[in-house]
Amino acid sequence: MSRTATEHSPPHTPRLSIVVRLLSALIAALVAGADFGTSAIAAPPKGGAANIAMIGEPQTLDPMSSTADLVGTIMQHVYELLYTYDANSNVVPMLAESMPTVSQDGLVYTIALRKGVKFHNGKEMTSADVVASLQRWMEMAPRGKAVAKEVKSLEAKGPNTIVITLNRPYAPLVAHLALSNGFAAIMAKDSIASPLTQFVGTGPYMFKERKPDQYVQLVRFDAYSARSEPASGYGGKREALFDELRFLPVPNANTRVEGSLSGQYHFADVLPVESYARLESAPNVKPVLTAPFGFPYLVLNTKQGPLANVALRQAVQASLNNADMLGAGFGDAKFYSPDANHYAKNTPFYSTAGTENYGKGDAKRATAMATAAKYDGTPIKILTSQQYDFHYRIALVMAENLKAAGFKVDMQVVDWSTLIQRRNDPALWDIYITHSAVLPEPTLTPPQLGDGAPGWWSSPAKDAALAAFNAEADPKKRAALWGNVQAVVFSEVPYIRVGNFNSVTARAAKLDGYVAMPWPFFWNTGLQK
Amino acid sequence: MTRYLASRFAGMVIVMLLVATLVFLITRHAPGDPAAVMLGEQATAADIAQLRASYGLDKPLPVQFAYWLGELARGNLGQSIFLQRPVTQALAERAEPTFFLTMFAMAIAMVIGIPCGIAAAVWRNSWIDQTFSGFAMLGASIPSFWLGLILMQMFAVSLGWFPVAGYGDPGVPLSNRLHHLVLPAIVLGVVNSALILRFSRASMLDVLGEDYIRTARAKGVSERRVVLHHALRNALIPVVTVLGLTFALLIGGAIVTETVFGLPGIGNLVVSAVLRRDYPVIQGALLVIAGMYVLINFLIDLLYLAIDPRVKY
Repeated sequence: MSRTATEHSPPHTPRLSIVVRLLSALIAALVAGADFGTSAIAAPPKGGAANIAMIGEPQTLDPMSSTADLVGTIMQHVYELLYTYDANSNVVPMLAESMPTVSQDGLVYTIALRKGVKFHNGKEMTSADVVASLQRWMEMAPRGKAVAKEVKSLEAKGPNTIVITLNRPYAPLVAHLALSNGFAAIMAKDSIASPLTQFVGTGPYMFKERKPDQYVQLVRFDAYSARSEPASGYGGKREALFDELRFLPVPNANTRVEGSLSGQYHFADVLPVESYARLESAPNVKPVLTAPFGFPYLVLNTKQGPLANVALRQAVQASLNNADMLGAGFGDAKFYSPDANHYAKNTPFYSTAGTENYGKGDAKRATAMATAAKYDGTPIKILTSQQYDFHYRIALVMAENLKAAGFKVDMQVVDWSTLIQRRNDPALWDIYITHSAVLPEPTLTPPQLGDGAPGWWSSPAKDAALAAFNAEADPKKRAALWGNVQAVVFSEVPYIRVGNFNSVTARAAKLDGYVAMPWPFFWNTGLQK
Repeated sequence: MTRYLASRFAGMVIVMLLVATLVFLITRHAPGDPAAVMLGEQATAADIAQLRASYGLDKPLPVQFAYWLGELARGNLGQSIFLQRPVTQALAERAEPTFFLTMFAMAIAMVIGIPCGIAAAVWRNSWIDQTFSGFAMLGASIPSFWLGLILMQMFAVSLGWFPVAGYGDPGVPLSNRLHHLVLPAIVLGVVNSALILRFSRASMLDVLGEDYIRTARAKGVSERRVVLHHALRNALIPVVTVLGLTFALLIGGAIVTETVFGLPGIGNLVVSAVLRRDYPVIQGALLVIAGMYVLINFLIDLLYLAIDPRVKY
């Protein structure tokens, strides 16, 4: 290899000769140095290190302050919750000893904590840590603030029990406490600060170092207190098999693909669907399809502009061909499913209520509906971005569907940062496009099911349906009540759930024990020898 | 000379003040909001407003500008909203990969561009000229991201000689980190060599047409000595200008290449900061990059003194 460098040395002047020689020597040394890099990956120390290519740099490492997926995905290894979800989307205890004891009136939740659980600073977790953590979550986390409205009091009852008293029955409480996104992380009380400067949790990995735009480095926590139940989804026994996890920001999707194929990354998150065939044919990589991963949805402005008229929103819904939009967004049918029902058939919240209104691109009917709603030709302002290419491609089809039904369209393509600012101003848009992961509890997403989210959906039917759903603790009754909420969504069209899409990720063939979940985790995974 | 230096220095200060003002105005008038990006999809308008206030972003722009200028005067570029560290520290952390990448790329560009440009001029209109000029056109036309991906597939994925991306695992020695820079340096070197080659050729052709070159040849001086001793030195002045500008461009961050290869350099920092609307980082980084430009231009002017004795200030 050094010979190649010498052979290619170009003609030079006497003055340049020293520079050229130095360069030749340097290049030769660098090419020879190739062994350093590969050997570091090929022969890791015991337990090894996992190189995990993420889509970018996390916005923060404070798991409460952001609902960005990146933050939760990384920090769920450091911090744990009182509860979590198993492989079947059931809530199961994590730091809590068992499921909570709920009073007859559904207002008082008594949660026993596991004993002997150690924080990364060596101290044992007590109810004081849990109360302080949940208080912080309710004060500063977007999800926690929503829960705080329902909470009358939060207090410790002895060193290993906490009691949450509600203002009114609120069944999604435990689901909120179990979600690892903008999450109710249990932190060591003496590490709590705003902003967080120490990341002291109870997870199987400890925070070691963050070099922005380079890596977030976590190392195994040897004193980790694992549960005894078998692992299932995020629940059960967790074991840190790797010595070290390195979350690497790799914003370029093609680079993540190439890095997986070369063996540099043991896992690569969110890959283009076009790369699936290449990944499938490579012997050292396994493509992973998480189905369903999420759903694109269109938020409609119910507060201002033409779509404040519910009849026009219904016309928009009728005009859209959701299957075509998904096809444009995700290509092969392997990567999407045009499901009208918000939850799949085998899940607790499956319902077909209202699904007859799921858009099939009926332009004729939509035109009649728009005429009946006295549409005056005001352009429908569509706000979209190319940060997620499927958003943009869906928007293109949506615009054509709307035009076919006689709507005028004003397509505004901006960057993502601009979109999430502009969507807070009801004068600037009529429809914007975003997406969400499929979450096990319906009211966790999209935020339009809560109060004050862009779109500003507020109606008596919404309040009544959600109040009944949130107050009901019986899982069987909740499924039917969710159907009522779904029907109201189809009827009042505050948002249009286009369908489900699957995510493509890649793991090294020798990465053992990996379980595909929406937010990938790497406890219980290791490298085969 | 002293008067020249004083006037240049005063000019540099004025330019930097103008740059600071423009950078502030442009970043603050661009749509987007760092608080909204930071808090994520579920944040409400009230959450966003609260975070904005905590960073002082709710204050009137003139107040923010005055505060920023005051901090600049004290040498403080501000605190990154996302990185939770001073902008100077964030820039310093990224200086290493950008500096080494620039040096490698410049070296490759010079090694390709200057000798090929000279050869193309000396053997004007020959196959050598045609080949090198064709290479220059190709180098200038190839998008760096495309070349990067092709090299990545060939040398990193297929042959496994180099890492695909990144700047080395935690704690690795410098040699390993530099190993990560080879492919991106080749990309930048090839792309930037085109301009250097074209300038070297044009400048050399001009000089080879001068009377004193004809005189030297008439005196029987060997062609090698004519080219390397008499022509090259004079031909280098415009080339040095191009080299300086290329250097300044690269030290400011090879944005596309750094992004494709996932290098934590200054270019990557600027792109991330723009996408996240991390105002202090955008402002600080652009100010430093502008400062580098101004400084390098000044140094190039001084370098003329060393290269060409006829130049006097």
